[in-house]
Amino acid sequence: MPQFDPANFLPQLAWLAVIFAVLYFAIVRPTLPKVGRVIDEREQRVSSDLDAAEVAKTEADAIRTRYDAGMATAREAAQAEVAAARAKASQAIETRMKALAATLDARSDEAAVRIAAARSAAEAKLAATTADLTGEAVARLTGLTVSPAEIDAALASAR
Amino acid sequence: MANPMEQFQIEKMVPLAVAGKDVSFTNSSLWMLVAMLIVAAFLYIGTSRPQLVPGRAQAAVEYLYSFIRDMLRENVGKEGLRYAPLIFTVFIFVLACNLLGLIPFVGAFTPTSHIAVTFGLAMIVFVLVLIVGFAKHGLHFFTLFLPEGTPVFVLPLVAAIEFLSFLSRPFTLAIRLFANMTAGHVLLKVFGGFIVGLGSFEALPYVLGIIPLSVNVALTALELLIAVVQAYVFALLASIYLNDAVNLH
Repeated sequence: MPQFDPANFLPQLAWLAVIFAVLYFAIVRPTLPKVGRVIDEREQRVSSDLDAAEVAKTEADAIRTRYDAGMATAREAAQAEVAAARAKASQAIETRMKALAATLDARSDEAAVRIAAARSAAEAKLAATTADLTGEAVARLTGLTVSPAEIDAALASAR
Repeated sequence: MANPMEQFQIEKMVPLAVAGKDVSFTNSSLWMLVAMLIVAAFLYIGTSRPQLVPGRAQAAVEYLYSFIRDMLRENVGKEGLRYAPLIFTVFIFVLACNLLGLIPFVGAFTPTSHIAVTFGLAMIVFVLVLIVGFAKHGLHFFTLFLPEGTPVFVLPLVAAIEFLSFLSRPFTLAIRLFANMTAGHVLLKVFGGFIVGLGSFEALPYVLGIIPLSVNVALTALELLIAVVQAYVFALLASIYLNDAVNLH
């Protein structure tokens, strides 16, 4: 086997040393750490971004809680205000209804009085007219002149 | 028929000698160079303009690099990330050599099928472990051979075994990769020989060659898997050994 021929050892070892040294010092060292730095930077960037996201999330949660609390108190205040307004409005309606009822009662009483007056006047007028017509009818039929007082008495007894 | 061992032959392309020692540029050197150039292209394109949202080339580099980083983070801890570029270099170099050797016709040579190369790579890991261990813990690093909770009367024996297993690490690391690559390539060539042998059966030409050909197609898929898995295993063991040096168990 050529592998075990001692004459082959030195040339191979010498060239391996040279080539490996060039590979390590002139090729790997100037290039690879650049990529290593980029990998580190990326890991750092990702972890810092994750941290920032975590912070933002807690902040958002806090805002959310504050918002919910604010909403709850605002809702309570609004409900109280609505209840008060409703009570006030119903009270106002009640008083106005009472006032309106009072005026309506007064007006109807007044109207009743007027109606009574009108009726009595009409009745008086009707009675007078009835008497006149009776006198006239008697005069035409009998030719007798009857005094209004007699007619009135006769009508009153007939009624 | 070609000898299945012929593919491992080292051929001198440019004979060189430094201080009387032979350091010729061979086909092995050539394929290591090709692997290096491909890795260079991959890395330079992938990292030319690093962006937070990566493009395709950058995503490919990042994928492999994150793979190595995650492996080190898991096995060594955060401190292990310092060695990520070096472990990445070992991993991608082994991976590139393994994969290039599997290209038919073109990838006629696999440097990682030579024990000299895999041993060299294993020594890089071993020396790194020693340097890190002694730099970090000084002489305290030797407590690595004294597992906690061992009864005192067996301690010398356990320490000797631990020491031996520590010393054998570069060898097992080297032999595992070399043996896997060699065995796979030998198998591919043996079945390649069968294709020629059976296909040239006079009475029924070509037809019988289909059987070993289909085996070779399946073997190539298996070898692709092994090429990737062995590169991974090499890097994984390197990071496990590194863990000993950094954390002393």
